[in-house]
Amino acid sequence: MTPPDVALAPPRPGPLPSLVKYARIFRVALIERMTYRSDFLLGTILRFLPIVTTVLLWRAIYEGSGQAELGGFNYREMIAYLLLTNISRMFSSMPGLAGGIAREVREGTLKRYLIQPLDLLGYLLSSRVAHKVAYITMSFLPYAGLFYLCRGYFDGFPDPLQMLAFVVSLVLAFVVGFYFEASVGMVGFWFLEVTSVLYIVMTLNFFISGHMLPLDLLPQPWSGLLKVLPFQYMAYFPAVVFQGKVRGTELLLHLALELFWAVAFAVLARTLYRAGLKRYSAFGG
Amino acid sequence: MVAGVARYARMMGGLARYTLAREMAFRGNFLVKVSVELLWMGILVAFYRVVFAKTSTIAGWSEPDYFFFVGCFFAINGLIETLFLENCNEFAELVRTGDLDFLLLKPIDEQFLISCRKIDWGTAPNLLMGAILMAVALVQKGWTFDPGRVAAFVVTFACGVAIAYSFMMMLTSVSVWMVRNQSLMEMWWLFSSLVRYPREIFSGRGAEMLGRFFTFVVPILLVSNVPADVMVRVLDPGMIAWTVAVAAASLWVSRRFFHVALRSYRSASS
Repeated sequence: MTPPDVALAPPRPGPLPSLVKYARIFRVALIERMTYRSDFLLGTILRFLPIVTTVLLWRAIYEGSGQAELGGFNYREMIAYLLLTNISRMFSSMPGLAGGIAREVREGTLKRYLIQPLDLLGYLLSSRVAHKVAYITMSFLPYAGLFYLCRGYFDGFPDPLQMLAFVVSLVLAFVVGFYFEASVGMVGFWFLEVTSVLYIVMTLNFFISGHMLPLDLLPQPWSGLLKVLPFQYMAYFPAVVFQGKVRGTELLLHLALELFWAVAFAVLARTLYRAGLKRYSAFGG
Repeated sequence: MVAGVARYARMMGGLARYTLAREMAFRGNFLVKVSVELLWMGILVAFYRVVFAKTSTIAGWSEPDYFFFVGCFFAINGLIETLFLENCNEFAELVRTGDLDFLLLKPIDEQFLISCRKIDWGTAPNLLMGAILMAVALVQKGWTFDPGRVAAFVVTFACGVAIAYSFMMMLTSVSVWMVRNQSLMEMWWLFSSLVRYPREIFSGRGAEMLGRFFTFVVPILLVSNVPADVMVRVLDPGMIAWTVAVAAASLWVSRRFFHVALRSYRSASS
């Protein structure tokens, strides 16, 4: 027999209910994402335009140069690379994440995370995973079609082990991207207006992550420098893993480094969040 | 007619002064916005410098010609962003919340009010940056002054802005039916990727058809191509005439399209 006062006390949330909680957030975010289907579809179609123009631009560049290889990439590898960076970005780009955090701080709505048994980063992470799942599922068919059409640019699938490394690098790219953007968003605790700073970071990231061109094309010391920085894991690295340009111990080393950056940004985001909460004064809301 | 034009010009001047005063209230933010644009231009220049280190031409465009094209695109895009993008971006939200009612009730042309309400001064220097890039490219090219080309450039540049504006207006109008949740800014960025490169890259099987499609059916390719072409490459009167005709037609079509869209506006939740 349990004493009555123990029975009346609210049950401590175990790991399972907590998991259910975040699974519910996932579900709600997924439904929200699917509400504006036609707009989503138009956006997905438009997303292919830059891919087409990029392929054409690089064809013109290779034809103009009269060379078979630029920076260690032949034309087919270059197009394959640029297509693959779209997959990397699909995982690592976090539109609206940092801006959203900064807005919660500025408008004071952040306090709902402080008075509810809900962790801000946990909430954002599970809703972001939902958005990514919706986005990747919705664009799976168009992307499959695109890759099928562009199959001539690829030398078939890499071997299973390499494929596994590719998947791991993509998942880590998501984590790196998420916590990197979250860390940038946490700057909102110190500066009220971060959208402009955000634009600078994102613009720069577009180039230094290797989304525009393989980092190998840049002259030294730039290419070496950019390969040391964590940004390459958000676009360049998964792509070259798929292409088999990084192998063996180098591959393992870079995967370990990617994991390191994922953890480092996670710790950074948490630390900034804690430090930020000390300053937070819950204006508005 | 003249009184109408004068009235709208006055209104535009008033709005420009008002938005400039607002912008200058947050000077730091303005400076950061300008630096983002500078950075973006720097990235574009770095990208093409890297590319031109490996090749001497892209689709028949030499390095100075190509940089003139990039400057031209940058200037047109800057003008579009300064005058219209921010306004059109807010349109979907006005539809969703029903706040559009307040704009429709005002005794001013709806399209003017919706697309020219605010001027985003942060991107205005892009026009200057584009002009500087164009000037540098012309000097490197050893271009000799030709009033005919300059006149053709000014006309086709204005037409390019008009065509781009029309397409943006149509993309904006669609949100009446779709109730957008993705930002028009992103949509526009994706769509305008067609404007970013010379038309000549559309070569080879399939691509040539696509190039013709975007020149004659959905003539978005004319926007930055024709002004850059008439200035540093061929001065083709046929193409200029076509661009002027397209500019006039697309302004008319987009206006009609916008009004059709407005008729479907249900003023929900206001």
